[in-house]
Amino acid sequence: MNKTGISFAAARAAYRPDADLGPLPALTDPDTLLAACHPDHLRGSVVKLAIGANAGDGCQRELAELLQAEAFIDEADLAGTPVTDTDVLVIGGGGAGCAAALAAAERGARVLLATKLRLGDSNTVMAEGGIQAAIEPDDTPQQHISDTLRGGHHAADPALVAALVADGPDAIRWLIRQGMQFETTATGDLHTRKAGGMSAARIVHCRDYTGLEMMRVLREAVIQHRGIEVWEQSPAVELLSNERGQKCVGAVLGSLADGRLRIVRTRSVILATGGLGRLHLNGFPTSNHLGATGDGLVLAYRIGAKLRELDSFQYHPTGLVHPTHLSGKLVTEGVRAAGALLVNGEGRRFIDELLPRDVVSAAILRECQEGRGILSVRTDKTRLGVWLDTPRLERSQPGLLERQFPKLLARTRGAGIDPRVDPLLVHPTLHYQNGGVLIDVNGATTVPGLYAVGELAGGIHGRNRIMGNALLDIIGFGRRAGVAAVAERDRGPKKVTLEHVNRMRRALTLAGMPLTHKSPRLLPAYAGGAWNR
Amino acid sequence: MSDSAAASVPLTINGTAVEALAGMTLVEAAWRGGVPRVRGVGCLEGVCGSCRVLLRRGRDVTVALACQTFVEPGIEVVFLPAPSAPRHHYEIEEFADGWDVQARFHEIFPEAARCRHCHGCVRSCPKDIDVEAAIVLAAAGRFRDAGAMFFECVMCELCDGACPEQIAPAHVGLFCRRVTAHFHLRPPNLIHRLEELRQGRYDVSGMPQGE
Repeated sequence: MNKTGISFAAARAAYRPDADLGPLPALTDPDTLLAACHPDHLRGSVVKLAIGANAGDGCQRELAELLQAEAFIDEADLAGTPVTDTDVLVIGGGGAGCAAALAAAERGARVLLATKLRLGDSNTVMAEGGIQAAIEPDDTPQQHISDTLRGGHHAADPALVAALVADGPDAIRWLIRQGMQFETTATGDLHTRKAGGMSAARIVHCRDYTGLEMMRVLREAVIQHRGIEVWEQSPAVELLSNERGQKCVGAVLGSLADGRLRIVRTRSVILATGGLGRLHLNGFPTSNHLGATGDGLVLAYRIGAKLRELDSFQYHPTGLVHPTHLSGKLVTEGVRAAGALLVNGEGRRFIDELLPRDVVSAAILRECQEGRGILSVRTDKTRLGVWLDTPRLERSQPGLLERQFPKLLARTRGAGIDPRVDPLLVHPTLHYQNGGVLIDVNGATTVPGLYAVGELAGGIHGRNRIMGNALLDIIGFGRRAGVAAVAERDRGPKKVTLEHVNRMRRALTLAGMPLTHKSPRLLPAYAGGAWNR
Repeated sequence: MSDSAAASVPLTINGTAVEALAGMTLVEAAWRGGVPRVRGVGCLEGVCGSCRVLLRRGRDVTVALACQTFVEPGIEVVFLPAPSAPRHHYEIEEFADGWDVQARFHEIFPEAARCRHCHGCVRSCPKDIDVEAAIVLAAAGRFRDAGAMFFECVMCELCDGACPEQIAPAHVGLFCRRVTAHFHLRPPNLIHRLEELRQGRYDVSGMPQGE
């Protein structure tokens, strides 16, 4: 990437919250902008998969390396490994995993929830903006469906979108029953915001701590539920299949605590492992949690599940460039929804801030590539960005930032930055996996006994997710999968095998691919990796 | 911004000597120093409450979240183990109604009325919550106000570890917030739309609404 731009000091000195930003240039063709500047379209970013259920499909390069790789374990590792039986195994302890576990346990199932880190350590806990539900008088479910399909460039599965939208209001009721609070108006209505790509105000929220409020409530509900056992520090290293390698009948869990393996046998497995921001696709920073390494995609693909839109990822427009320790962390779209503008190094607006996220991100990257970005020089590397003009927002709506965005102020305070005075330097950050495991409306994958929910699942958001649909998706589809997994009539496995691992190994060999790369990743290398913790 | 010659900062993490750079957090320093078995790192932005550390500066001992604490020369850092499972049990669905919630609270959290005002919880909170005052409100049945004081709580449970009466303040705070929503949050706009959906006003293919 071209690393020229306006120096931070010069841009900061020239910045005025009341400066004239000039006219907004017209965006004639968003598709051309996306093709030229969106990271999905970078040369060499996408390769064709050679083996597996998606052979021949395009896939992001770093992800393809993990999908077409060898497992960490083989049959010899299963001998003498302790076995636990349960009705439903949920893998992943974020919002989707907790919703699935609660839904299954509410129906009387014995549930084991295994999570790589601590229960609740997830992207859910960091979500800020809110959750979509069409509840305002000028809004309808049909509008929510249309906005979601259009925002996703009409690549989503309409049946999944209809299911998502149908779940909206009831998901909010269910969350309130669990004890989640939401922002209300003076009349007691749920307060709603309108964000990018929406035809009506539809985001309900808990100031800018929506994910934290949701996660701490669901986490407590899971811990307190008698029907749910939680295993922390227990990453899934492989799924288990029946003798023919065609049904999922359990999983092999590792342990970050004692390093031992454990076998779990079950009637159904619900994967809820989240996204893959920590693979830092195309070298981008990420807003994601440390554990977001795409493990579920790897496990699902190896057992034969079909995936989709593996070449489509969301780069959120406003990731922080500084302070350093928050690099890539998010400034919620809610700030732009409230009226904050984006300003380049020349002090000009360059894009309608509330266009879909992929378009706004591409526009920021264009400014940076064409020399109108702001250059931040640090010890390790040079980074470019543009201003998110929060002081101007504060001028027009005094007190708003403190009232509505306490998390933003709390995070930057430690580094001596006050968004009410200092404009924030932002750059697109790898935020969300648009595609994922192919599912039906119950979260069932193409492999019997295996469900996938949350960010891991694909088809709900097409090729671009709009704000507030992720928190809805994890609750709606999480609960659906929990219900469906309990209804699974199978009496449970007679024999658990790694037949699917053998099948993948044969395919790798036939394709002349190396057996030296192993996956899933579990933790990024810079965090010490998983196996030498 | 241009700290191109960041000063080296010596410190100790889990007994390992580490040379960090000024401006790094304790998590970044642990990674840079290759400190083994550092668990509990999660969100890296101070909201998951996992990276709990004990800090020793001379005779002064405090607790904090490692991802939000910057390196200092000579500081000794110990990453704390994850908190143990909570000792107080309740299922919110089992509460009959809001009238007996004070009685239920004192059954579930009998220690909450026994606060000895030692300030241990207040001193341990990385979010500057006045935990002690909130516990007094909770014990008096003021759940909405008490819960509001816990708004920025990230459930690191450092206050639970600091409480000699084993009140489990973080869980008390969450109880207060949950019963407030569970019994009192009844938004007319949401209820109206749920009712319209129940009556079939909108053709939404998919799952039937409600349980």
